[in-house]
Amino acid sequence: MPEPSGPDPITGKSWSTIMLVSTFLLMLTVAWSLWSEFFGLRPWRAYQRDFASAYQDFLGKQIAAQTKAEAAVYSSPEYKKLKADLDAAQQSAKPKDDEFARRIALADLQRTAITPAFQSARGQVGALIYQVEIIPESNKSARDSAKKDVDGAKAETYEVEYPLGDGKTEIRKMNYDQLNAGFTDLMALKASLVAQQAEVDSSVKIAQIKLNEFVKEKLPGPSAAGLQNLRNAMSTFKIDMHQINVNPPGAMLNYVGGIGLVDRCQSCHIAMDPLVVPVTMTLTKADLGRTMAASHDAPFTSHPDQDLFNWHPLEKFGCSPCHGGNGRALDSAERGHGRYEHWLWPLNYRENFTAGCQNCHASDMVTEHAEVLNRGRSLYRTRGCIGCHKYSGFDDENERLTTTRQQIMQLESTKHDYSIEIPRLNHQADIAPDNDTAHKLNARATSLTIESSKIDAQLQTLESVSSSLMRESKRVGPDLKEVRMKLRKEWIPVWLTQTHTFRPTTKMPQFRLEQDEVQKIAAFIWQQGIAGQKLNPVAPGNAGHGKELVESRGCLSCHSIGEDSKTIGGDFAANLSRIGEKENYEYLVRWVHNPRERTLPYCPFEKKDITPEDYKKHRLPFQFDLDHSRCPNDGHQLEVQQPTIMPSLRLSDEDSRDVATYLMAQKHTNATYPPAPYMDDPKLAAAGRALVQHYGCAGCHEITGLEDEGRIGTELTNEGSKPIERLDFARYTEDAKRGMLINGKTSPRGPWYDSKGFFEAKLNDPAVFDHAKFKPDPMDRLRMPAPNLTDPKTHQIDKNDVDALVTFLLGSVDPQLPTEYMYRPADRRHAIQEGWWIVTKYNCIGCHQIGIDQKTTMQDLPFYQAENKANLPPVLTSEGARVNPEWLKRFLANPSLSTTDTNKNGVRNYLQVRMPTFSLADNEIRKLVLFFEALSSQEEPYIAPKSESLTNTETTFARALFTNPAAPCLKCHATGDPAHDKNATAPNFTLAAERLREPWAERWVTDPAKIIPGTSMPSGLFRREGDRWVFTGAIPSEFRSYAGDHANLMVRYLMGITPDEQRRLQGRSSGGGASPPGK
Amino acid sequence: MRIRYSAYVLVAAGLAFALVSCGKSPETGQPAGGGGSAPAAGQAVDAATAGSVTGTIKLDGAAPAMKNINMSAEAYCMSQHATPVKDESVVTGPGGTLSNVVVYIQEDMSKYSFAAPTDPAKFDQKGCQYHPHVLGMMAGQTLQVTNSDTTTHNIHPVPKDNRDWNQSQPPGAAPIMEVFARPENAIPVKCNVHPWMKSYLFVFKNPYFSVTGADGKFSIANLPPGTYTIVAWQEQFGTTTQQVTIGAKESKSVNLSFNAASSGD
Repeated sequence: MPEPSGPDPITGKSWSTIMLVSTFLLMLTVAWSLWSEFFGLRPWRAYQRDFASAYQDFLGKQIAAQTKAEAAVYSSPEYKKLKADLDAAQQSAKPKDDEFARRIALADLQRTAITPAFQSARGQVGALIYQVEIIPESNKSARDSAKKDVDGAKAETYEVEYPLGDGKTEIRKMNYDQLNAGFTDLMALKASLVAQQAEVDSSVKIAQIKLNEFVKEKLPGPSAAGLQNLRNAMSTFKIDMHQINVNPPGAMLNYVGGIGLVDRCQSCHIAMDPLVVPVTMTLTKADLGRTMAASHDAPFTSHPDQDLFNWHPLEKFGCSPCHGGNGRALDSAERGHGRYEHWLWPLNYRENFTAGCQNCHASDMVTEHAEVLNRGRSLYRTRGCIGCHKYSGFDDENERLTTTRQQIMQLESTKHDYSIEIPRLNHQADIAPDNDTAHKLNARATSLTIESSKIDAQLQTLESVSSSLMRESKRVGPDLKEVRMKLRKEWIPVWLTQTHTFRPTTKMPQFRLEQDEVQKIAAFIWQQGIAGQKLNPVAPGNAGHGKELVESRGCLSCHSIGEDSKTIGGDFAANLSRIGEKENYEYLVRWVHNPRERTLPYCPFEKKDITPEDYKKHRLPFQFDLDHSRCPNDGHQLEVQQPTIMPSLRLSDEDSRDVATYLMAQKHTNATYPPAPYMDDPKLAAAGRALVQHYGCAGCHEITGLEDEGRIGTELTNEGSKPIERLDFARYTEDAKRGMLINGKTSPRGPWYDSKGFFEAKLNDPAVFDHAKFKPDPMDRLRMPAPNLTDPKTHQIDKNDVDALVTFLLGSVDPQLPTEYMYRPADRRHAIQEGWWIVTKYNCIGCHQIGIDQKTTMQDLPFYQAENKANLPPVLTSEGARVNPEWLKRFLANPSLSTTDTNKNGVRNYLQVRMPTFSLADNEIRKLVLFFEALSSQEEPYIAPKSESLTNTETTFARALFTNPAAPCLKCHATGDPAHDKNATAPNFTLAAERLREPWAERWVTDPAKIIPGTSMPSGLFRREGDRWVFTGAIPSEFRSYAGDHANLMVRYLMGITPDEQRRLQGRSSGGGASPPGK
Repeated sequence: MRIRYSAYVLVAAGLAFALVSCGKSPETGQPAGGGGSAPAAGQAVDAATAGSVTGTIKLDGAAPAMKNINMSAEAYCMSQHATPVKDESVVTGPGGTLSNVVVYIQEDMSKYSFAAPTDPAKFDQKGCQYHPHVLGMMAGQTLQVTNSDTTTHNIHPVPKDNRDWNQSQPPGAAPIMEVFARPENAIPVKCNVHPWMKSYLFVFKNPYFSVTGADGKFSIANLPPGTYTIVAWQEQFGTTTQQVTIGAKESKSVNLSFNAASSGD
């Protein structure tokens, strides 16, 4: 090996410079990592420090204020008086109290003294008795000797140092029996002494409670001392992680897995820790001197809805299951809030907070404390999103109907098979070679016969299910089969192009259609309409009276009328301002008279409209309605009503004409409609049909030939869980990731490449993700129309509507929580949950107040102000407790409570507003009744309480009360006499027996304002006297001795009032002859 | 269609199995293939050589006293009879002749073919009683049920090997026409409206049967020569038999009797 040449690398080269630099680098790294550990990666430390000092300052101010307030209260004369009362009570009770305390203490001492001896004696005796018991009965001598041992043990005495009070004792010799008796007696003595002491102290307790209540009322919130304790705690506040461990068994919260969930949100949101800020206190940023502008840097607010913790305890729910976000991450707000690429459940933004409720409350229509979410759900339904986008649990009657019909067809086919099979088997049996075979074949035929009869039973059930579902199933838009009778032909293409201009509040979305598409669709719509059916001409009515009816009958609870700032009425149904431009008068008269009336019934099995000829073929009269709904051809249930939500108001023909005449006058006189002869071109119609299918019109409208078209849009039940890669941002993908908005501005919240960003962009402009794409064929373009979310006042898209819908969609996720977290109650709350679907579906809340804080549309109508407030529809907050459910079923089915005289209200005939007939399905009636009962905590099924019948004296007394000038019941309550009832303001008593529940009626007559504040029924008819109610007015002398409850007597009497009895009363109260009997 | 098709296949398979496994009927001991209206492979009886059996059925000993039928449940039925009607379990004539006895031969005659009569077997309801009380007929022959009363009856035969049926027949209704496909002895017939109404139907494969009238006489004709077991059935006393051998064109007389002391099977 040759010698290495050149300089020696060991001696000739120095590494010191590199080492020095490395050392510096290492030190810097250590310093940086230490800084990062305590400051950089732990922003919550700074927050906590900041919070601790600001909170202490705040508490300091609070303590000062509270101390001052307390001083003021303690020096107030009321407090002094209450305090003096308490002192006096204590003073007077003290001697006796002390004496009892002394005796109780002595009894305790005595018992303690004998206890050891007693326990020892009892043990010994017990053991010996056991010895006796284990000797067999037969061995008499051994038993006797053992018994003697027991007696010996019982006779044995123990020395006890027995206290006598004042520290003195005496030595007592006690045997077992004496000890036993002594022990029992002392126990009894103590119990009696304690009871006596409590009695002596009761006046003290009452005085103390009064004082406490006074202080609590004057000084709500924590006391100065309590605040001081908090402040003291804060002064030694240790900066530390605050975390909640949620470990329900098998939990998969937020996909964290079996070990459960850890939420450390309170490390920053320190004020949400109830140990730091008690739940009785609310803390805002302003309290801590933090302005809103810097709010994102000061997460110090206490939870804004503390009530929620009553049902969602932190230790069970944590934070992130409701709010989203990565509850474990603490290194930055961005991480903790889960707003980074790989966290699937980012924190919901403020405007979408309630999205989290959907995790568990997906079965609700109305969720308390979640206004935004409720608005979103409601919009989803009423704006027709549901027409294209299926959503589990939402208006799925059509799907259920289809399933039912398929079942029916399957069963019928099986039955048909049997009908061929049975005679064949019988014949085989007849010619069988031997009786055994014959028996088997006959038995098989018999069992098929029975099976076939069972199929009949199933079919009957399914037919009634299908009939019920057909009643329940509604469409968002009107039935287009009747266009030729209903509409002005030329209006259709205008409407298709200017949907939101013609009617700015319409539910119908605006489609993006080329001119030729409009013509094709209009031609198809026109030509698919039922032809050849003419409505008889109707004379015009009285528009003035029509206007009055529209304003008073209740039309405006759902519909609005007037444009822009002059709009009045509800937004549940169409604005009627320009209805005169498009409608045919005769059709409108029919519609107003009964909007459910159809021209031809539809048979879903034959898939065609059934004509009078079909009926004629089977020699049946052309009659179809809810009671005549079988198809003349095949006996199946027919669609006999229009699938509209609008109920029948049971108006007379004349009133219907008046209303229609008034409505026909609602129009722009200068509007022009160019002639549209192309609408009769069959070629255009054929092309139009394809377009109508393409755009999914049949999702909202009933259209000839397209009755069974499904929904064309994406199902949105789990849309919030859709991976971001499956939402196509198209040319905005990069913009969204960079935080640049579609209009080129910078997004205030930074990048919007998330579900929220997608939904918002799409709702604002459904065509947005087609931008910059080359799609010459309109059929290739995105077809989602623009939903009408425009605020009619500002003409801008209502951000609140968008937020509400986005919230709803963001919350529409795959269930992430364990099933026991899902809100699917099995008790009354379930009935409430189900009921809200129906109540909102039919807009019952447009007229009736059902929830305690809920407003109705009607109470804001100009007609129902001032003195007319008394004529609003009844408040239903206590309906379930008020009425008999059997009666309620009947009433809901037919609110006129009459089969012949229907142009009236069944109960409140005196009201101008009309309770309409909704033709509810049995299923809906059942749910509504249960809903009202559940809201009023009533048991189901209802069992009427047994009522005592009245004695003769009671009847006479009750009559006297009823007609007493101090309780002029019949002045306001209707009697059936038309002249009288014109001014009535309350229902007829003759309805009471079957309608009311006695316990409610009793609460009602004694204090109606407690049940319905603002009611016309006066309070104070009775006053409380001891444990009974006594009539307030002058009581006739002969009844003064009546010892019973007057309110109860009155109720029992009115529950039995007959029309005869009422006439008799009227005779008395009007001081003369009976009034003519009312109808 | 799928269901129907598979049902056929199943039934056909079942039948094939039955045919293979049940070559002989355990109850009647008759060879397979002779039942009902299946195409008979046999020849016609030669009338030139056929003989006959006649005779009288009698009851030995005193006839039991029959109870009166209580028709008070329906006034119409009561009004049809001046005197109470007796139960018809045992009806005797002068000299102890027995009515309503079915006489038939036990032998299997399936080597011959017999066409069922085209005339229906007639069965009437009159005075709330069945006429006749015991009826013999051939398998495949039509049973014609009429109602001569002005009250509603129902006819409910309770067969074992044939199919059960139960039809209501209001006054003036069209006759009920039914066929029993399989031979079966003593099918009870009842009326659920009038519980006292009772009758028995006999369904035979061959015409060699006879039901006695008040004179107790029976006659079975057109019998091919051979040895036969004559069976007589009475609803209360059960059956009694006697062998008889018939030569060509021979006419034999057989008299059978039941013992009044026996109470049937």
